[in-house]
Order: sequence, then C-alpha cells, then structure tokens
Amino acid sequence: MIQLDLKKNFFELFDLEVDFQLDQKLLHAAQQRLQSTYHPDRFISASDHEKRISVQNAAHVNEAYETLKNPVKRARYMLQVGGLDIQNDHETTTDTTFLMEQIELREEMDECRRCKDPMRACSHITGKLDQRSKEFSNQFEALFQQGKLEDAKQVSKKMQFIERILEQIDDIQIEMEDGLF
Amino acid sequence: MALLQISEPGQTTAPHQRNFAAGIDLGTTNSLVATNRSGTIETLPDMQGRHLLPSIVHYSKDKILVGYDAEQMQSSDPMNTLSSVKRIMGRGIEDIKGLSNVLPYEFDGNSESHVPRIVTRQKKVSAIEVSAEILKTLSDRAEQTLGEKLAGVVITVPAYFDDAQRQATRDAARLAELNVYRLLSEPTAAAVAYGLDQQQDGIVAIYDLGGGTFDISILHLNKGVFEVLATGGNSSLGGDDMDHDVGEWIIQQAEIKKMDAILSRQILIAARKAKETLTTAESTEISIKHESIDFTITLTREKLNELIHDLVDKTLMSCRRVLRDAKLDRKEINNIVMVGGSTRVPLVLEQVGEFFGKKPLTNLDPDKVVAIGAALQADLLAGNKPDQDMLLLDVLPLSLCIETMGGLSEKIISRNTPIPVARAQEFTTFKDGQTAMSIHVVQGERELVSDCRSLAHFELRGIPPMTAGAARIKVTYQVDADGLMSVMAEELSSGVKTDIVIKPTYGLTDNEIETMLRDSMDHAKDDIRLRMLAEQQVEAKRVIEAIDSALAVDGKQLLSESELNKILAARTELIHLVDTGTEEVLKKAIKKVEQVSEDYVARRMNASVQKVLSGKNIDQVDV
Repeated sequence: MIQLDLKKNFFELFDLEVDFQLDQKLLHAAQQRLQSTYHPDRFISASDHEKRISVQNAAHVNEAYETLKNPVKRARYMLQVGGLDIQNDHETTTDTTFLMEQIELREEMDECRRCKDPMRACSHITGKLDQRSKEFSNQFEALFQQGKLEDAKQVSKKMQFIERILEQIDDIQIEMEDGLF
Repeated sequence: MALLQISEPGQTTAPHQRNFAAGIDLGTTNSLVATNRSGTIETLPDMQGRHLLPSIVHYSKDKILVGYDAEQMQSSDPMNTLSSVKRIMGRGIEDIKGLSNVLPYEFDGNSESHVPRIVTRQKKVSAIEVSAEILKTLSDRAEQTLGEKLAGVVITVPAYFDDAQRQATRDAARLAELNVYRLLSEPTAAAVAYGLDQQQDGIVAIYDLGGGTFDISILHLNKGVFEVLATGGNSSLGGDDMDHDVGEWIIQQAEIKKMDAILSRQILIAARKAKETLTTAESTEISIKHESIDFTITLTREKLNELIHDLVDKTLMSCRRVLRDAKLDRKEINNIVMVGGSTRVPLVLEQVGEFFGKKPLTNLDPDKVVAIGAALQADLLAGNKPDQDMLLLDVLPLSLCIETMGGLSEKIISRNTPIPVARAQEFTTFKDGQTAMSIHVVQGERELVSDCRSLAHFELRGIPPMTAGAARIKVTYQVDADGLMSVMAEELSSGVKTDIVIKPTYGLTDNEIETMLRDSMDHAKDDIRLRMLAEQQVEAKRVIEAIDSALAVDGKQLLSESELNKILAARTELIHLVDTGTEEVLKKAIKKVEQVSEDYVARRMNASVQKVLSGKNIDQVDV
C-alpha cells in the first residue's frame, strides 16, 4: 500500500501553489486522482489494518479538498501554513465600522420575513453580501502576498462573518419556500 | 460431466479465478438480487420466474415464510405477517408509535438494548432479524443460480438513512452471514446503472420514491467517477403513505367505526391495488367485505391525485433543498432519473417533470435499477473488473453533531461532506481529578438535540487525573465509506488513549446478535436439506447446458439417430424433473444422462485429440 504523506500541507498534497486564487478545476481533478488511489473501495480484500489506513487516507484527502474548496476555510488555512495560530483564536474583530455594518445587516435580514416580497429582499441582501465577500477576498489576497498576515487574519474574520450570514439567509429562504408551496 | 466441456489444449477452462458477488436491494416493499451472469448484470428470478421478492416475512409456530408465500398470509394472519419493517430499522419504540397506522403490530420495547421487538406467534423479532430472513432468501437465490458461494455483497440503503439505520442494516447482514463489501446509497446505485447504460457525463438528479423512503441525490458523472454533490430526502415517506391516505379516505367514505387488524390490512391492500390500477386507468372500483361491512366505491385518478398531493409536495420541498445544497439551479440538471415503484404514479411523474422543467427518464426499470447498480459495484469490488476504472464518491446525508450545554446541538461534520471523513475536537476537564466524560452524538440539522436523532453516548474513561482545565482530550469522529461513524479519543499532554464505551441509542448489543445467530443455527438443518436440493438443481441445469452445446457442435456427426434419441430422451426427463424432483430423484436423472452419453463423450475426446494432432509431426506434440 502506498502511504499518503500526511506531513505535506494541503496545497502540496494536490500539487498546487499556495495561492488564494486557485483553479477549482485543478483542485477537483487532483482530489479525484488521489481518491482513486486511496479510497476504501480499492482495499476491499486488504487486511483490516490496511482498510483502516485507507479510510484515514481518504478522509485526509477529503478534509484537504473541503478546506481548499471553500474560500473562508482556504484563507484561514493559508494563515496557518504561514505560521499563525488559528485554532485557539477566539477574539472577534475590533473594527468598529465593520461591527456597525454587521448589526445593520442582521437587522436587514430579520426584516426580510416581514417584507412584501421576502424572496426578493433576501436576494437583494445576498447580492450585497456577495459583493462584500469579493472585496474582502481581494483584500485578503493582497495582504497575504505582502506578508501582512495579522491584517489578513482580520479580513479572514470578516469573510467568515459574511459566510455565516449567507448561510442564515439560506435557511430563511428554505423556510419561506417550504411555506409557499 | 466435465468431459463434455473440452477445451483446446493450451487453454484452460477457467482463465482466472472469479469471485462471485451480488448486489441486494433491500426495499421496504420489495427486494431484489442482481449479479453478473456470463458478462451481463441482471436481476435474478426465483424458480417461478419472479424477480421481485416481497419484503414480507410470515412467522407461524415453527416455520418462517418469506416473499410471495408470506404475502398470501397477509390478510388472514396480519399480526404474524411482517411487512415494511425497513421503516423501523434503527428506530426506537417512540419513533414507531407514529407509524402505528402503517405497521399495525404488537411491539415490545423491553430488551437489553431498547431495540423494539414485534410479538409474533413464534417469537419476538426485531426488524433486523426480519431483514436478515429477506437477505438470506436473496443470497440463497443468487448462490443457487450461480452454483457458487457468494464472496461478498453490496447492500443498498436509502441515501437519507442515518447512522443507526445503516448500522441496523449491517447487523441484519451479519445475522444472514453475508460478507458485506459496502453499504451503497440507493440513488448512487441507480446512478451507476444509469451512467453505464447511457455512457453520458453530466449532472444527474436521481429521484427515488420507494415504498417507505424518499431520496433525492444530485450527482456529477465524469469519466467513470460518480460524485454525489448533495443528497436529501425523508427516510419515512413513500408509497406506503399514499396507501394510507387512500385507506383513510375509504374508512371515511364507508363510515367504518370499528376497526380490527384484519379489516385494517384488507383496506390497505385494497388501497394499494387501487393506486396501482390508477397508474394506467382513469378510475377503479374498491370493495371491502368484512363481517357486517359490504362496501363498494369508485376512486378516480383525480381524487387520488388530490389525496396524495401533499405527499408529492413534500418530496419537491426536498428537491429544492438539495439543489440549494449543491449550489445548482434546476436548469443545470442534465437528466432526471426516476427510481422506485412509487414513481409510476402519474402525479409524481408529472410534478417532478414540471419542477425540473424536463421530462424525467423512465427507460430504466424503476424496480430493478438499484439492484443492478449495486451488483455492478459488487462485481467491481470483488476484483472481477481490474480494467474498469469506476469510483463512487458519496457524502454524509445528515450533519453529525454533539450535545452541548442546554440541550443544544453543535455541528461537527456538516451534511453533504464527502465521506470518508474525520474531524477532531478538543475538550478539557472541568473538575480536579476528573477521569471520565460523556459525549452524546446526534445526527440532524436542527438546533435542539431533542429534534435530532440520538445515535450514541460515548463514555471516555481512563483520562489521567489532572487539575481542572489541564487535560487536553482530542476526540476524533470518523465516518467511513459506508456512512458509519466511529469515535476515538486521546489525552494529548500524556498521550494516553482513553477507553470508549459506546452505548448506541437504537442498536443491538453484540450479545444480542450472538444469541440470534445461535437461534438461527437451530433452523440450519432444514436449510442444509434445501441447499443440497438447490445444488442438484444447479448441477442438472449445468448438465443440460453442456449436453446442448456439445450436441449443437458435433451431435449429428458423431451419433447415430438412435443414440441421439436416447440422449435426448434422458435430457427431456431431466428437464421435467429440475423444478419438481427431490434431491435423490435429480441425482438419478443426472446419472442417467451421463450414462447414455458416455460413448459420445469418448468419441468427442478422440475427435478433439485428432484435430489437434492432424498436420503435426509426432515430435511436435507435447506429451
């Protein structure tokens, strides 16, 4: 059995440059290439030990794939590769302008339900958030390239926040859709 | 009879060792088995040529009937005739209460492990044991047809089955003494069958509405890789519920006040028949006769549509969610494949077509496609197709969470994450000298733990005693390729692996499984006799086949007319006896065929040797 090198970082694992702008197609192809080697389906008649290893290997490949696929997770992971401690980092953003923006966005989201056309109100906010998320991504990339990791970390928190709101809007939309039909 | 099969010198009869494998679709209403028979994957019929096996088991005092034989007992002995047990796989007694209209049995929740037992005349049985009977019947069918023991099987489960339901299915296979290569999601199996049939890449939606479960999966098919993008559904929604809706309507219309088990089963059977008739007819008549009740009414397709409309709507709700999860627009779906018997209902076809704005594909048999996909995967996993590069990448159907303070759930692994997957989490102790802690793992999307499915309590023991907050316990949750979860724990500062005691909420204990296995040994004697008969039947068929192919090649050249007629007569006799004869009778008939063709076999040998020798010098012949 070929041993997967668990010490490689996720970018190395997929033969990709450590770059925020990564080619999703290449990432996808690399994931499938690795899975076709390490997936437990390839070890049906192997020993129990090898089977266990293959589950761990395949899980590792999937973990790497999920991390790099998602922009927020990718950004956080890049900071980790860069040497920052992300795991035990519980402080929230101190950017007061952004905090205000957060509060406003939350209020706007809560009001969606009461709107005349809630679906449209939702997609209006979604549009705005997508725009913000693009801006933050660009900021992150620039800061990371300049080696300003602490600043990049602050931006990654904003990205995380935007993603969370988008998820919540998704839930509201599902709820409303289910009610409509 | 081996001599009849002469191969050219230098060639062997068996070019490589084959592992016999099968795919089993263990359905709510019907089950099937499929396997590779001389190069094509097909579902296997029983002796009467029937491919479907009704998922019904009848328990009389000392006998167990499975399938059509059990089905016949349904209306006369409803309490001992168990159907739709898939709906209670991996479920607790509380869950079942809500299903009492579909499953009118007497339940007993007092067992070692809280797995509900159904009280029958013979014994108290769990859904796992009932499913094991169905699995056994199907694997026997496969082994009889192939004349070989199965090396392994792939069993399908609804994509939306949670960990407890999957574990229960695994336990049923263990009771049936089957080697399970893999539990495969039903829609993924269907996609495999579809993909290999159509040879077309793209985004496919599999809409699978069975007897008791609904799945919707979206897959990306690309050069032999079947990647599930998202899956959703409802593991308690299907054709059974349509029957129930129609049944309620009948009860209402007939103004039935007093119900009993026999009447209730009769109404459900009538409702199901009416629903099936209405797939082609515009209206049908339903009549109920029981004691003082003699009632007839007409059900139109329009009325049926009205009765089941909510149910179909619920499935479309899941379709919307799953598209959202896959981040796809419905226009991006290249094809919709309909799976499961309930997709024959015209309203379903119509509504799904309208929803996706595309006519769903119905050219694959919705009953068989899952079993065929499973058999394809089984054949591949058995190592019979080393040259074929197929890979199935599935996802976790429901988020895996743990209980936190205040009965809230905290997501550890989100739904639709590709599996296998592992996630680690760190905990610490909150008391000085604390050596144990408990983790409650649930599955579901809701915020409150009480709204999710409880999977198990994991008790970590043997944490080295330290001051509060000093221990760092890393807990790793892992989901394997079958969608089954396991948990590992380690104290990081000391490197001590902690013992984990698992208390599954709805699973059988190892102890219980062993007792069940022992019980089934008592029935093994009958099974041996049946198996020996089956073996003779297989042998008889093989002999007939060998004779036929030999005669087709050189029967006319090598035999006089009277010799030929003698062989043919013995062959005809054997054919007549295959399905009716006992093991002894069959053995004799096979012997007879062998005797009358002895000379013929010898002549074939000579002819074949001469053919090889002709044109060669003596020194060229290897001896």
